[in-house]
This record gives sequence, C-alpha cells and structure tokens, in this order.
Amino acid sequence: MSIVAGCDVGSLTAKAVIMEKGRIISSALLRSKTNPQLSAEAVMQEALSKAGLSMDDIRYCIGTGYGRKNISFVDKDISEIACHGRGARWLNPGARTIIDIGGQDCKAVRLDKDGNVVKFVANDKCASGTGRFLEVMARLLDIPIEEMGSLSSKSTAPITLSSTCTVWAQADIVKYINSGHKIEDIGAGVNSAMAKRAAILANSVGIEQDVCMTGGVAKNEGVVQDLEKLLGKNIKKMRKADPQIAGAIGAAIFAMESLNGRS
Amino acid sequence: MNRPMPTHTHFFEDLLNDPMNYLVEASMDKGKIPIGYTCSYVPEVLLSVDPLIPIRIRAPGVLSTEIADIYLSSVICSYTRSVLEMAMDDQYGFLKGWVFAASCDHMRRLYDNMKYLNQADFIHILDVPHRHGNDSFSWYADELKMLLDNISSHHEIRFDQAALSRAIQDHNDFSALLTSIGDMRKPKNPPLSGTEFQAITLSSLVAPRQSILPKIQEFKESLSRQEGISDYRARLLIVGGQMDNLGYIRTIESTGGLVVADHLCTGSIPRLAPIRMDEDPVTAIAAHYLNRISCPRMMEAFDSRVDDIMKSIEEYRVDGVIIEFIKFCDTWGIESSLLANTLRKKGVPVLCLEREYQMTGEGQIKTRIQAFIESMGK
Repeated sequence: MSIVAGCDVGSLTAKAVIMEKGRIISSALLRSKTNPQLSAEAVMQEALSKAGLSMDDIRYCIGTGYGRKNISFVDKDISEIACHGRGARWLNPGARTIIDIGGQDCKAVRLDKDGNVVKFVANDKCASGTGRFLEVMARLLDIPIEEMGSLSSKSTAPITLSSTCTVWAQADIVKYINSGHKIEDIGAGVNSAMAKRAAILANSVGIEQDVCMTGGVAKNEGVVQDLEKLLGKNIKKMRKADPQIAGAIGAAIFAMESLNGRS
Repeated sequence: MNRPMPTHTHFFEDLLNDPMNYLVEASMDKGKIPIGYTCSYVPEVLLSVDPLIPIRIRAPGVLSTEIADIYLSSVICSYTRSVLEMAMDDQYGFLKGWVFAASCDHMRRLYDNMKYLNQADFIHILDVPHRHGNDSFSWYADELKMLLDNISSHHEIRFDQAALSRAIQDHNDFSALLTSIGDMRKPKNPPLSGTEFQAITLSSLVAPRQSILPKIQEFKESLSRQEGISDYRARLLIVGGQMDNLGYIRTIESTGGLVVADHLCTGSIPRLAPIRMDEDPVTAIAAHYLNRISCPRMMEAFDSRVDDIMKSIEEYRVDGVIIEFIKFCDTWGIESSLLANTLRKKGVPVLCLEREYQMTGEGQIKTRIQAFIESMGK
C-alpha cells in the first residue's frame, strides 16, 4: 500500500488528509488545541480511524501550517503557501491564482502553468482580512460563523465599515447594532470589508485565471461574490473536496511525490 | 546546520547583548572616549582617531517603546523608537557624545528629541547631500571638518594629519581582514554561516577594534579547520538598511537558506571598501563615505546599486535575494519595490521582507522564507 498523508495545523483548525493512488480516502478537520502536536495527533487519529488505518500504514507524511515545525510524526515539512498552491491545483487543474484566507492570515499565490509558486504575498501581521476577523464579527452579531456568508444575499442596504482594523471595526459594528441596522446589512458589510482586503493582495500578485479560493473563508459565499465583483473575475468553485482542507491535500500530494522520488 | 561553531563565535555574540559591553568599559578605564553614531554616512573612521572609539547605536533588548511613543509620531520606524527608548532609559549614558546624520526624516526626529530630552554631553548632526557631484562633495567635506572642529574643541583632542592617516590605515587593515573572511563565503561549501559572519561584523561596530582584532584573527585561522557547510538549500544575498539583530539571519538560515553575502548598512559590502591613503585624509574620508554605493537615500544612483548587487550575485553564486526593510522606512520601502521589479526582470528570485526592528513574528518570517526557497525549486 502506498498510503500517504498531509497534516495542516493552522491557528484555528487542524486538518488531515490521507491519500492512496492520488485519491482522498479519508480526511478530518478539528478546532486547534493548545499546542500544534496535540492538534496534529488528534486530527490525524480521526482521519486514520475513519479509514480504519493506523499510523504504521502511512508511508510518508508531510506537515504544513503554522505548527508544521512542531509535529513529531511527519517526515518533512513544507510551507502552507506551497501546499495551498498544490492543493488548489489538485482541486482545479486550471488554477493559477489562489486566494487563501485562513484563521490568522490571508495569502495570495500565483502559480505557473506547472503549478509551481511564482509569486506570493501575505497579510500576516493583522487580524483584519482573516478568518479571525469574521469570527469576531459573527460573535458580535450573535450568529454562527457558517451563516455569515448567506447574509450578503439577504441584504438590501449593506453598511460600509470605515475601518477594517478588527478592533475598530468592532466599535463600528456595535454602533450599527445599537442604531437598529439589520443583521444582514451589517453582515454584508463585514463580508465586503473582507473581500476588499483580499482583493488588494490578489491584485498585487497579478491575477491569472483560473482564480480559486482556499481556506475556511472560501465557504463564505458573501465574501466570494464580493471578491468576484472587485476582481472582475469568476472565482472557480471547487467541488472535489472542502476548500478548507486544500493545504492538507497539497501536503499529501507532496508526500506522494516524495514517496515516488519526485521531490 | 549541525556542526561545531568556529572559534570565538559566542564571544562575538555576547558583545551584542547589551548597549555597553565589557570591552568598551575596559577601554574607558584606559581613557578612551566612546562616541555613538547612527548612520553609515557618519564616518566611523573619524570617530576612531585616538582616543575616540566609535559605537554604532543599536537597541538590543528593547521590546516596547512606551516612552519614545510619547514623543515620536506613529509613522516613525521602530529602530528610531527603540533607540530613543533606550536613551531615555539612560542605557547609553556611558557615551561621551552622539553624532547623527540627517540621512532620513526619522533620524532627524531622533536628533531633535535627543537634543531636547536627553541633553547629551555632546551632540552633532551632519548634513549629508542626496546627490553626488563636486558641489555635494565640497559640502560634505566641509561638514566633516565642522564635525572634527566641534569634537576637537569639546573633548580637547588634536586631529592632526598623522592621527587621521593612522586611523585610515587601521580602518583599511581591519576592513581587509573582515573582507578576507567575507570572501570565504564565495565557494560552494563555505566554512562559516551568515549568522556567524554577521556576529563578527556587528561586534566590530560596537567594540574597540584593537580589543577585538586578535579574536577575529583567531576566528579566521579556525575557519581553515572548519568543515564546509553543505546542508543548505539556497544561497541568499540580503539587501537592506539597519539590521543589527542576529535573530533575523539565524531565522533565515533555520529554514535552509545560507546567507552568503549582504548589502546592509550594518553589513560588509560595500562598507568595508578601503579608503585612499594618497590624498588629504579628510578629502579621502569624504570621498569614501559619500561616493560608495550604499543607501537608496542617494538620488540618481539606483543603476549603480543594481549593478553592484548583480556583481555580488555572480561572485557569491547567489540563488535568491531578500530585500528587508523596517516598517515605515520610506527610503528602503520605496527602493524595495523598484529594486525587486528590476532584479526580477533580470531573472533573479526576490523576496521583500517588511519587518520590525526587534525580532518579532518569527513564525511568519519562517513561512515566507521557506516558501521563497521552495518557489526557487530548492
């Protein structure tokens, strides 16, 4: 058996993907724990048990994400920038521009025709434009994070946030809530602010089609639609697997290539 | 890189932990006069005329800048803030003078605040032209003469021709030694890492040269017994301004990069070029500091800077260039964009790394460097 795995330990969630012959045979996604090793062990264990496997069955495993250097069971670590690029490419073979919005950072990556990273930029110093920003705003609006995306289509008069700083935007949101604005209008404004931040990054790497989104925020249809308007480009839907596990998929593909002696 | 470190590596690193090290203290006991300076356009060779010793101003260990934030605007760089914070905390109280250069607005504000708040014993600012040419050169040479006159009258020191020539000779000998060590980074498997080389160059900026010279010579001799470094993924050239924290290059090298050359204000190229000995000393010093290819504050010299970087890329077999700059640094912020585009057009992989003065965000930096190395197919 040539079973390989990718383990992506992010700031908010940990993801694991197990692949065999280029096909996902199991995956798991958990809320990150207090340290990367615990998160990695838990998520990998869940993915293994779903497939009825044990760690001994994994021939090669690659770690990625901010916790990648602290996972004991991986054979090698690769940056999440390369892994999201490779994962997006597997989800959509035409992908050339990847916008990855994760829990604590937002990245734009441009790939060449062979899927290699040509250029990347990251906002990794500020919570605005990240999944954390959406979480904070969803909590203020008292709705589950999963429902944030649908607010944009229900909104008739979206608000405009004057600041995308997470701290100052909270004050703005409270002001709008207190003045009786509809939740959907406020939520649409939050999604739009997120999209504006991501569009700046995407434009700075130079957009080439197909454009794809990975990371948890790819599941927020409000952000995706606003981003499409801002970029003037269609963002390809990736139905082959959950875009949130794209980094772990990329890591598993790199693991497969390492096993076959290609990298 | 798991290998025994060259002789005295810890000795050099230890000198960088505090603003004052024991070698400076010992020199002061012998009557030497430490003068702090902040920029590569302040000629440290003038501040090394006996009994002066030049100390390049750093702010090791400053993690927050509550006091400096009161006096400086929010768009002043964190190097400026950290230095003011350290000075306000009286950690540079041992200095017998400060010399600044009006190299950027941030340095001018530092000078203003130091003069207003710190009331140092001796404080001077050099006006440095932004252009090359005869008029600029005359202006800068006059500025240096004014500096010499002021130090001379304040500290009652005579700067005669012989003393100045001796300082130039010492500077050239010392620079030749450091350059010969830097040149050892050119082969495929160099005997020293970028972190180890930076430890020497930085410690030579904050310790009396005569005290540190024997250790550097022993370090160099020990390199002949060192096994060459082979477990790296990419050879990197680092370009930028004030980078005086070993943590950055150590972090870069922890991801598999090997820093083989630098074009930093606090680095080796072109800072260590020799000064001419066959003309009037002040004229030779002015020509050396004003005309060498270094800082993007100099207008109309962009092409020369690019050519100089391309030359280093070839000589040091560089795979990729990292352009680093401190947030809010106007000079390097603008240069980085132009430089990155120009180098990329020439086929050189480039990473722009905006950072804070103190080492922060290590995880994010590692991710960027690792992705950069991966993107080169290394």
